Amino acid sequence: MSVASIQPTAPEPIIGTAGIPAINLDRVGKNFRLDARREVKAVSDVSMNVGKGAFVAILGPSGCGKSTILRMIASLDEPTKGTLSVLGTTPADCAANHRMGIAFQDHALLPWLTIFDNVALPYRLAHLKADPGRVAQLIDLVGLAGFEKARPKQLSGGMRQRAAIARALLLNPDVLLLDEPFGALDAVTRRQMNVELQRIWSEQRTTTLLVTHSVDEAVFLADRVIVMSGRPGHIIREVAIPFERPRHPDVMRTVEFHHLVNELTEALHPTEGTGAP
Amino acid sequence: MEPEQGVTAEPIDANPLRWLYSIFARFVARFWGVIIILGAWQAWVLISGYNAIVLPPPLSVLHQVATNLGLFAFAGLQTLAVAIIGTVIGMLLGSVAAILAWYSRLFSGLLTPLALIFTAVPAVALVPVIARLLGYDIRTVIAIVAVISFFPSFVFTGSGLRALPPGSADLFRVNGASTWMQLRYLALPAAVPHWMVALRLGAASAVLSAIIAEFAMGTSGLGSVFSEARDSFDMTRALGASLVATIISVIGFLLAISAERIVRDRWD
Ligand SMILES: Nc1ncnc2c1ncn2[C@@H]1O[C@H](COP(=O)(O)OP(=O)(O)OP(=O)(O)O)[C@@H](O)[C@H]1O
Ligand SMILES: [Mg+2]
Repeated sequence: MSVASIQPTAPEPIIGTAGIPAINLDRVGKNFRLDARREVKAVSDVSMNVGKGAFVAILGPSGCGKSTILRMIASLDEPTKGTLSVLGTTPADCAANHRMGIAFQDHALLPWLTIFDNVALPYRLAHLKADPGRVAQLIDLVGLAGFEKARPKQLSGGMRQRAAIARALLLNPDVLLLDEPFGALDAVTRRQMNVELQRIWSEQRTTTLLVTHSVDEAVFLADRVIVMSGRPGHIIREVAIPFERPRHPDVMRTVEFHHLVNELTEALHPTEGTGAP
Repeated sequence: MEPEQGVTAEPIDANPLRWLYSIFARFVARFWGVIIILGAWQAWVLISGYNAIVLPPPLSVLHQVATNLGLFAFAGLQTLAVAIIGTVIGMLLGSVAAILAWYSRLFSGLLTPLALIFTAVPAVALVPVIARLLGYDIRTVIAIVAVISFFPSFVFTGSGLRALPPGSADLFRVNGASTWMQLRYLALPAAVPHWMVALRLGAASAVLSAIIAEFAMGTSGLGSVFSEARDSFDMTRALGASLVATIISVIGFLLAISAERIVRDRWD
């Protein structure tokens, strides 16, 4: 607990090498034991690279193992097969060094803390001295200025998710993992959140892996979209998204955007293309 | 405290008589069941003409307490102090045991059955054992109260330490939080509302268990007033001790309930 040696704000990234991808999965498989006899093959033979500063989105049918992949990268689950590295080291190392930010479907805000203290929490967990200026700046960035003293229950669902994203960004993580962060929101709020996340991301350029069910969301936010098959999940399609950054919401009205969305939707549900109006 | 919530304080009426009346009305509204039972009891004693050794009427019990205020107040305060000290010790030990069980499976395997066995033994049966160990005095009374409040605090703190907000445990792990940090910033705060439930249960039974121990020991507090009065067939005084004990219990319970409500308000 040597507080004296601690920097006031987030430390520099521990890995400065440009050649090593931020996230690397090499033929990763994951089986879950259900009981003594049965196993579920959640993920099989997944290989992928996420370069530094890239935004990659994963699409796939429900239960195909998207969350499992994210949880393995976050050090919350161990792969059964293959190897997985984050910033050239193991996910556990990365977590221990406070280099990862997560925002999952549960906002996981602590109800007994104010929004300010919730966003500032990673400082405490990393034994860093809190920098109130940075906390305030992030709260402002996600559009929650004025709600610093509010408690999570006094905020709307979308505001809570924004607070969770601010918290995930606090320590300038080298890797940002988002699992359906807007899954519980209505379509309008969700689109607003996408626009805001795009704006924030264009400022920070944090390496990001986003799991989502929304094809629009994936195309609007990501540089690259990965489509997975049903269980056991493996990668069936990868599509690069060419739009310039920062992206204006009007991008979503372009023909190109609709082409990409259609292409990805078709990859997701290959047999259902005929019934659509 | 939080003006933005728009809580308006009740205006205090200028007329003190009206104010007294409103308190009285609220008391009646809340305790009318008790009042009816006491009224029926008084009527029954009057009609049947039982003498005071068999069943004293509530009004003479009230009179007894009013005329011996010093005795009852002293004994009541003694019992109250013992109940509070015992509850504090019991809850502290229970919480520490729950934290140890949270920290390690080994402790959990050791402590859980022990705590269960302790609870299964009735308090009265524990009195002679503890008295043999600690002596026939107030220390044994405190120990009995502590033993009785230990279990709810152990169980509720234990479940509270594991009742974490959804996703928060994952968040702490990915943020590289040490075990100590998980305890300090997640498990302990999460346990606070559960701990308040244990306090409420403890507050309700603390005075009762203190009196049982005092009764068995016969050395101090309302319990010994009760036991002496019973030995001299003074049922009115014995019931007076019960009345004072009930009042203390109810007040303690109500205080614990409102504390619990305040905490809950902040927590969920
Ligand atoms: N802890 C677990 N124990 C057993 N099976 C699990 C566990 N976690 C996930 N699974 C199984 O692994 C498979 C993939 O689950 P996962 O949560 O990764 O899917 P997903 O792609 O995120 O789905 P969704 O889009 O519905 O969130 C599912 O079949 C699920 O039942
Ligand atoms: Mg999922």
